[in-house]
Amino acid sequence: MKRYAYYLSCINESMTKELDRSIDLWQKDLDMELIKLHESTCCGGSNLEYVSPKHFALVNARNIAHAEKLGLDLVVSCNTCLMTIRTAKKKLDESPDLKREVNELLKKEGLEYKGTSEVRHLLWVLIEDVGLDVIKSKVKVPLKNFTIAPFYGCHILRPSTVLGKDNPLDPSSLDQLIEALGGTTIPYEHKNRCCGFHTLLVAEEESLNVAAEALAEAIESKADFIVTPCPLCHTVLDGYQAKALKQAHINASIPVLHLSEMVGLALGYTKKQLGIQRHIVC
Amino acid sequence: MHMTGAAEQHKEEKRDITFRVFRFNPQVDIKPYFDDYTIPVERGITVLRALNYIKEHVDPTVSFRAFCQAGICGSCGMRVNGISKLACTTQVWEELDRCKEPGILKVEPLRNMPPIKDLIVDMDPLVDKMKHYMNWIDSSMPESEMGKKEFLVSEDEFLKYDKATDCILCASCVSECTILRAHKEYVSPAVLLKSYRMNVDSRDTIHDTRLAELVKDHGVWDCTHCYRCQETCVKSIPIMDAIHGIRENALEVRGTKDTSGAKHAEAFMDDIAKKGKLVEATLPFRTNGVLWTVKNLLPMAVKMIMKRRTPPPPPMVKPSKGIKAFREEFREMTEHVKDDQQSHNK
Repeated sequence: MKRYAYYLSCINESMTKELDRSIDLWQKDLDMELIKLHESTCCGGSNLEYVSPKHFALVNARNIAHAEKLGLDLVVSCNTCLMTIRTAKKKLDESPDLKREVNELLKKEGLEYKGTSEVRHLLWVLIEDVGLDVIKSKVKVPLKNFTIAPFYGCHILRPSTVLGKDNPLDPSSLDQLIEALGGTTIPYEHKNRCCGFHTLLVAEEESLNVAAEALAEAIESKADFIVTPCPLCHTVLDGYQAKALKQAHINASIPVLHLSEMVGLALGYTKKQLGIQRHIVC
Repeated sequence: MHMTGAAEQHKEEKRDITFRVFRFNPQVDIKPYFDDYTIPVERGITVLRALNYIKEHVDPTVSFRAFCQAGICGSCGMRVNGISKLACTTQVWEELDRCKEPGILKVEPLRNMPPIKDLIVDMDPLVDKMKHYMNWIDSSMPESEMGKKEFLVSEDEFLKYDKATDCILCASCVSECTILRAHKEYVSPAVLLKSYRMNVDSRDTIHDTRLAELVKDHGVWDCTHCYRCQETCVKSIPIMDAIHGIRENALEVRGTKDTSGAKHAEAFMDDIAKKGKLVEATLPFRTNGVLWTVKNLLPMAVKMIMKRRTPPPPPMVKPSKGIKAFREEFREMTEHVKDDQQSHNK
């Protein structure tokens, strides 16, 4: 059984609870144990880094330090949390002064940021550690009747100086997972584009235009559903879907699944168990 | 097997390659089309040289901009196999792996700018935005002294905008920008980069006026952090650092209450300080006020509450475990930041 520290993303604790619940269902099936870090705090959601760069370094050094205390890698299942925590890690690893300053404060909790734990997306762990062959062998209900649009989102790909796993111009990891689960992927131009989440409350019209474009392509391609490794992308593409498509004068809809739900379906869990009925479009 | 084939293909020193070139003359054509030009290409030839060959030997009507042929002037920005880049620094051989159809290189104009002809786009809207955001130094040196003495900046200061000055205005980032694609009024990444560069220059006198313009609608707060600009930049400039730099400066100089963008950003800081967790359910009205939230989000909020995606008010968020010690550390870091600002001001 391979063990990991699991970062609790704010959105998965509130709006997209079904994402973590799905992982809870199947982690043992794939010989993984994700230990939830209840001490972890909000990563700053790609905003704290300019509001206060030093607080940004502190909170994420602390998030990683909790994983290091357990001697485990930190697994994240939200793209923006992934990018944000990795950005902080890069800054800390490149600046001994910053690391020292942050560690002075973390000492109060008996913590130390060393830089020994990797910060990894759940998708990467599934492919690199569990392995596509093993996943394939565990599939109980192949997704063979489904045509699936893989929406990677931005912060699992860009900036590549911080992420650097998949080719940001033509990513393939999610496609590979879909195929291992027996599904068919569509060529999807929007696979590495943006969902518009981060400006929903500041420039709503623009954000909805961005989302509508991604939804429209998936709908036109006759995909059965979109799958995304990011709960923020999910929130826009599912929660704001009706609003976005109305703005774009498109009269249609398409379900959007979390990565963890898609894996769950193929491993034999029901839609109800996976919480898919909690989605706005289902 | 496929891999071997590709590798062998690339060992060749010369081969026929098809350039599928976007053609459009708005004065004549009802809609754009593509022309295929198959020409012999040697290893080491750039996309620009291939286009020059086509223009000289095959079809003189193909139009594109180019000048220095060395990645310096920024004239030949275009999309090669879908990605915005400079034709003059792009090797044809290296593009072969990225062709959707084997052996066919697709060449298109930059996006997000009006077409003029074929691969030429209208740069005027970009230039107009540069003017609108006053992207020049309005020098604090009296005119009588200009040209008579040096106007020095410290090395520390220069390092803040050193990378930003690498920009050659090729507009690749503009072409790839998510928000500009969604709204043509958006300031755009190249303009923000230039504004940042001007705003950190101590010799400049119009910082506050420029910043006031940058925080308005379609300005710096509308960037959606997709990082496409930075990923595409032909000079590898960290454009998002510049955008974040303007935001950081706006919060410092103008406070946290003047725009929805500033309020939204500050909410993250507040929530983390108090609970360690973001209180998402209240973000809409903390960013835009109660009226906006009711008008814009009420029907969706009802659906969200019914599906239990968001709790009915008042929203309760459990603080992170060990919040007491965390708050202490967070507060202490606030003191560090204050000290930093004081020593900086000195």
